[in-house]
Amino acid sequence: MGHEDFESIAALDAIGAATAGEASALRIHLSGCIPCRRARDEYADAALSIAMSLVPVHPPAWLRTRVIAAKEEAERRFNPWWLAVAATLFFALWGWREFGIRVAREHDASQRAEIERLREENGLLSQRTEKLSSEMAALSAHDTRTIALSGQEVAPAASARVFLEPNRRRAIVFFHALPANPNDKSYQLWIIRADQPKPVSAGVFDVTQTGDASIVVENLPVATEIKALAVTLEPKGGVDQPTNTTFYVAGNASM
Amino acid sequence: MNTTAPAAALLPAIARGDVSAFEALYDRHSSTIYALLLRILANADDAQEVLQETFVKAWTSAKMFDAVRGSEVAWLISIARSRGIDRLRSRKIRYEREDEAGREISVRSAFVDHTTGADQAIQSQERTAVRGALSELPDPQRIALELAYFEGLSQSEIAEKLNEPLGTIKTRMQLGMKKLRDRLQAFH
Repeated sequence: MGHEDFESIAALDAIGAATAGEASALRIHLSGCIPCRRARDEYADAALSIAMSLVPVHPPAWLRTRVIAAKEEAERRFNPWWLAVAATLFFALWGWREFGIRVAREHDASQRAEIERLREENGLLSQRTEKLSSEMAALSAHDTRTIALSGQEVAPAASARVFLEPNRRRAIVFFHALPANPNDKSYQLWIIRADQPKPVSAGVFDVTQTGDASIVVENLPVATEIKALAVTLEPKGGVDQPTNTTFYVAGNASM
Repeated sequence: MNTTAPAAALLPAIARGDVSAFEALYDRHSSTIYALLLRILANADDAQEVLQETFVKAWTSAKMFDAVRGSEVAWLISIARSRGIDRLRSRKIRYEREDEAGREISVRSAFVDHTTGADQAIQSQERTAVRGALSELPDPQRIALELAYFEGLSQSEIAEKLNEPLGTIKTRMQLGMKKLRDRLQAFH
């Protein structure tokens, strides 16, 4: 379409008679065409003159009072102060709600973490209970034998007591007053058997700050094959065979 | 507020909440707006209601007025015409209006008959020139413009109403608007 076409559309648009498509095309064209914008303004003036050419008619005098009153009513309804107060109240409530939701979520997360922690603690306690029950069963069994290990030269105050269940080939050993083991070393319990020349590892352990510890030894040799028990200090995690002959506690398993 | 303040100064004052400016705006333009609404609605009660709506809208939306885009009265006429045509459509007043012949006589009267007392008080050279330009338009062109401007009818609705081809109606309106524009330019 050329400028004349758009001017013709502008004439129709000024009186609201352009189609939606024509009006849309005109808007686009006017954004870049100064002469057509001028023509549009001229036609708008011409359209305005249609209304302005009407003989003015004074409305009833009472209508003025009604319009002023309606304006005041509208002012009350659309008072920016009320809008501001309403908006402030809305955002305050919304903010409070969001804050409440956030607090509830954080509380929920905290509760979940606490439940998880308690679950882990419960697991540990169950294990501990199981161990204590096992130890109690071993200590109270009618055939349980006791072997005392005494402190040696490097730890004269130390001692240990072995509760041996021959039928179950299991033993529980309680250590007392052993020196604290260095971080890079562990204590290792050895069984010296009558039928074998080399000692056999029965377990690796660390002691508490008071020098105490306890271990459960499973799959023991038959009681008659256990000749003696001794504890050495070995590299962390234990070794296959003792690296030294410095015993901390030791004792014979004589029947 | 001085009621003789320049026209463009009233709406900014109203936007600031100046009640006397609002009253001045009403005093200055209510007769023009009322005449337009009577012409559109052909019913005094409806015209009074829409007149009220128009000025309340002016009060609540005065800050939206942009003097660069048009005059104060043009802004008011735009509001009034839009609301008047909406009211006309919603109440389907057009179906209850007087028949075409009778309506045409009243339209011609509104455009051409300028001898009333109210008109004499407000009459201006420009209004006279416009009225002259309108009265000089051939009836088919003038009627097509009236139906579009005062009744808000589309090109196709006018063609159907007048039982004429759409192209003919479009040409009549374009020619009528061009003559009106040329006449106004000649006056200025």
